Amino acid sequence: MKKKNRVVYSIFTGPLVTIFSIVVLIPFIVGIYYSFFEWDGIRTNPMTFVGLDNYLRLISDQQFINSAILTIKFTFIAVISVNLLGLGFALLVTSKLKMVNPARTMFFMPNLIGGLILGYIWQFIFSDAFRLIGENTGFQAIFRNWLLDSSLALYAMVIVFSWQMAGYMMVIYIAGIQGIPGETLEAAKIDGASAWQRLKNITLPLLMPSFTICLFLTLSFGFKIYDVNLALTEGGPAGSTELFALHIYNEIFGRYNYGYGQAKAVVFFLMVAAVTLTQVYITKKREVEM
Amino acid sequence: MKKANKLLKEIVVLIFALLFLSPIYIVFANSFKDRGELYESVLALPSSYSFQYYLQAMERMNFISAFGNSLVVTAVSIFFLVILSSMTAWMLARTNNKLSKIIFMSFIATMLIPFQTIMMPLIQFMDQIMRLTNIPMLNTHGGLIFMHIGFNSALSIFLYHGFITTIPKSLEEAATIDGCSKFMLFWKIVLPMLKPITVTVIILNVIQIWNDFLLPSLVLTSPGLRTIPLTTFYFFGQFTIQWNLAMAGLTLTLIPIVIFYLFAQKHIIKGIGEGAIK
Amino acid sequence: MKAVKRLLKGIALCSIVFAVSACGSEESQNGSDDSSDSADKITIFQDKVEISEQFEKLAAEYTAETGVEVEVWGTTGSDYFQQLQVRLNSNQGPTIFSIQQFTELERIHSYVYDMSNESYIQHIADGMALEYEGNVYGVPYGLEGFGLVYNKDLVSPEDMTDLDSFVATLERLDQEGVNPISLASNSFFIIGHLSNYPFSLQENNYEFVQQLNNGEVSMAETEEFLEFGRFMEAIREFAPNPLEVSYDQQIGDFATGSTAIIHQGNWAAPMFDDYDVDFEIGMMPFPIMSNDSLAVGVASSWAINNDKDDAEIQAANDFLEWMFTSETGHRYIVEEFEFIPALTNIEANDLDPLSQAVLDASNNGKVIPWSHIYYPADSVRGVLLPPTEEFFMDDDITGDQLIEKLDAAWQSR
Repeated sequence: MKKKNRVVYSIFTGPLVTIFSIVVLIPFIVGIYYSFFEWDGIRTNPMTFVGLDNYLRLISDQQFINSAILTIKFTFIAVISVNLLGLGFALLVTSKLKMVNPARTMFFMPNLIGGLILGYIWQFIFSDAFRLIGENTGFQAIFRNWLLDSSLALYAMVIVFSWQMAGYMMVIYIAGIQGIPGETLEAAKIDGASAWQRLKNITLPLLMPSFTICLFLTLSFGFKIYDVNLALTEGGPAGSTELFALHIYNEIFGRYNYGYGQAKAVVFFLMVAAVTLTQVYITKKREVEM
Repeated sequence: MKKANKLLKEIVVLIFALLFLSPIYIVFANSFKDRGELYESVLALPSSYSFQYYLQAMERMNFISAFGNSLVVTAVSIFFLVILSSMTAWMLARTNNKLSKIIFMSFIATMLIPFQTIMMPLIQFMDQIMRLTNIPMLNTHGGLIFMHIGFNSALSIFLYHGFITTIPKSLEEAATIDGCSKFMLFWKIVLPMLKPITVTVIILNVIQIWNDFLLPSLVLTSPGLRTIPLTTFYFFGQFTIQWNLAMAGLTLTLIPIVIFYLFAQKHIIKGIGEGAIK
Repeated sequence: MKAVKRLLKGIALCSIVFAVSACGSEESQNGSDDSSDSADKITIFQDKVEISEQFEKLAAEYTAETGVEVEVWGTTGSDYFQQLQVRLNSNQGPTIFSIQQFTELERIHSYVYDMSNESYIQHIADGMALEYEGNVYGVPYGLEGFGLVYNKDLVSPEDMTDLDSFVATLERLDQEGVNPISLASNSFFIIGHLSNYPFSLQENNYEFVQQLNNGEVSMAETEEFLEFGRFMEAIREFAPNPLEVSYDQQIGDFATGSTAIIHQGNWAAPMFDDYDVDFEIGMMPFPIMSNDSLAVGVASSWAINNDKDDAEIQAANDFLEWMFTSETGHRYIVEEFEFIPALTNIEANDLDPLSQAVLDASNNGKVIPWSHIYYPADSVRGVLLPPTEEFFMDDDITGDQLIEKLDAAWQSR
């Protein structure tokens, strides 16, 4: 780079990179540093350097492994369902129907509700509303309290997460759909392409950049899921849904194992980063081919 | 026939949207019930629509002051986020070298870190900065805004970067040949082109910042500085929650955002127009 | 590329410098050394959300009287301790804060001021001070007690004095068509408080917890725990699945007369105000091993931040002294916070029936201590809850097996 370019480059990127480093990067690196210590998280209490012990301990930590597997499973299912819904909504609300305007707001609103209230609403839906539906329709095998079933509670979280995130992803997909030139679609229509053909051959390929973004965001939100987990199941029943962020949180702030909790965070970060950055790499590559 | 078909579609969309929204009904309906009525039925419509819980919640939350705080924090954070992240993303996208890749990737990668794992080092670091430089990072709106910018920059950069790579360079190249400086180029040509994605960035960040609880609760301690979500703590005990006030408080928190969204979506949808997909 | 390397180096260096300086030392805590008199501002952070509003008023009265500014912070009940920890660690701690558990004190005791020489501690009721290694570190908010909260129209304490009569009573209630008993799903309600009994009936409950931690004793070899298992079997037989019962639901079922007995504490009393309760409410002991005492303890204690300078600590002492001895302070504790006073210089009056039962038990010496305050960190949620949930979901698990599972969970913690 020429010197002048370098100066311009720094002016454009410098401020945000600095803020970002101070707020996110440095605390994160400090977190990594803590992972080499045995420490209860109170500054005045002793910190013992244990080298890689925390990491070695992880290998045989069954709870950690379970939690990691659960999180991956959850994320995988959630990514599919959130994106199908989000894309579906986006296609719906960019059509020419009259209902489009109110619908757009309605799909978006669940995104605004988080935390304990969210848990309350959905606990009620699963316990009472589901039972009611089950009793009235006879499908009690499906409509019962999912939160009480170790194998279904995870799917209950998928439902709530999808409900929350679909509107968010819809906003991004809308931006993408908006970028598709109207003439292209119009031309295809005149040429006799059916709605499905237009979707498959024009809209979806041109939406690749939106897919990159949405897939990555759902992956990252899914892996980091905390609120929904805490409010809905608190990791239960019988510890069957303790996903990763909650697991680390409990290790750090519940059991007072700061260093060990940080080691868990680091390992999981590396795993997740490997997966998601590969995803970004692959989808970005496909964009270029378009 | 075609008309009937369309009407059917309208109805399907509406039903779908209502079904999707139905959990929010629970929030609204129960903001009018006391514990006794809530126990009787969560689903039923409230027996009366007195706004006493709203007034009570507003008073307890010191709503007007909290609203002002939230507005300042959100607006200023968004302003800087949009400017700084669009600048950075554009530069990173248009400068194809190793440094750009590393910076971009570190932004993206940090989106995978759960906030809970870095909050303690973060607040400790802010304290260190305060003591070394006397810049008040903690317990000030300025400090909170600074941190909001840091935490939300990754998402914004990601969105901008993705968008910028899809717009052709030709326009920018032409302007450069005409002798336009990088700054002029950015302000006059690039930023306006980014408008659709800017609206998205604003919407998503507004939600995030307006609703955030954990970060502001760690940064702000003085009661006078509290943002709206912080003021709802009064309703959340360790074992009991005052549901009616909590729901009323939540509704009060949401109304400004919904109004904002209604306003913003006009901009999203502009330009979809003629060639829309059916 | 040079720039890349330089950038990365810079960030790494910053982090290391910060990490080392943040954890290595605690110098220069004390901003001002003006220890001659007391500071004109203190900050208070406390965990009982239910009294926040009233406490802010108390603080305002203090300011009006003395001119000392009192800033009251707040957060949700579930966030409190984690926030306190982050703040203490970054020199942002409050002047006065609350501590819930003995194990919390153990952990942060270097931040807690030793009150042993302060005059107000003389008023603390016997055995209720928060102590560590023989020194006083906290003054109780008030007494709290739990047991079987019952509907006086349906049950009387004489009905249930041991396991057999407990089961018989539940059977009778069941036949009468009421729901005999219920627990709520929250970890503290489904097992946390209940699990106190077998511990608290030991000679020295604190030591027993330590021995259990060290594996020197086991629950399965201790009679009280085996009987506890049988009580849990009876509860499972006659109660609706506790996992499905929220706290609100439990209270509502009881207040409307459809449940006869719930396991709760006097903190639940204000929740009954929202219902038209048309019967008298009482609280009786959980009759495990013929126990005839309520479990009474202190849920939170006031403590002072030792990390502050002398002037601020002095101001904090002044405030506590005022709250514990002035007429205004007493009025707030009894009338506004509705606490059962744990200070001997405060008269309780006009208590709700549950608090009255706790106070009576306390005055008559019919109390057993709390034990969960000695459990290792996160035990209720992390250790005791999962086996208990399994137990309630699967009728094939016996009470003995529950105890074995609890043992195993405790050991693998």
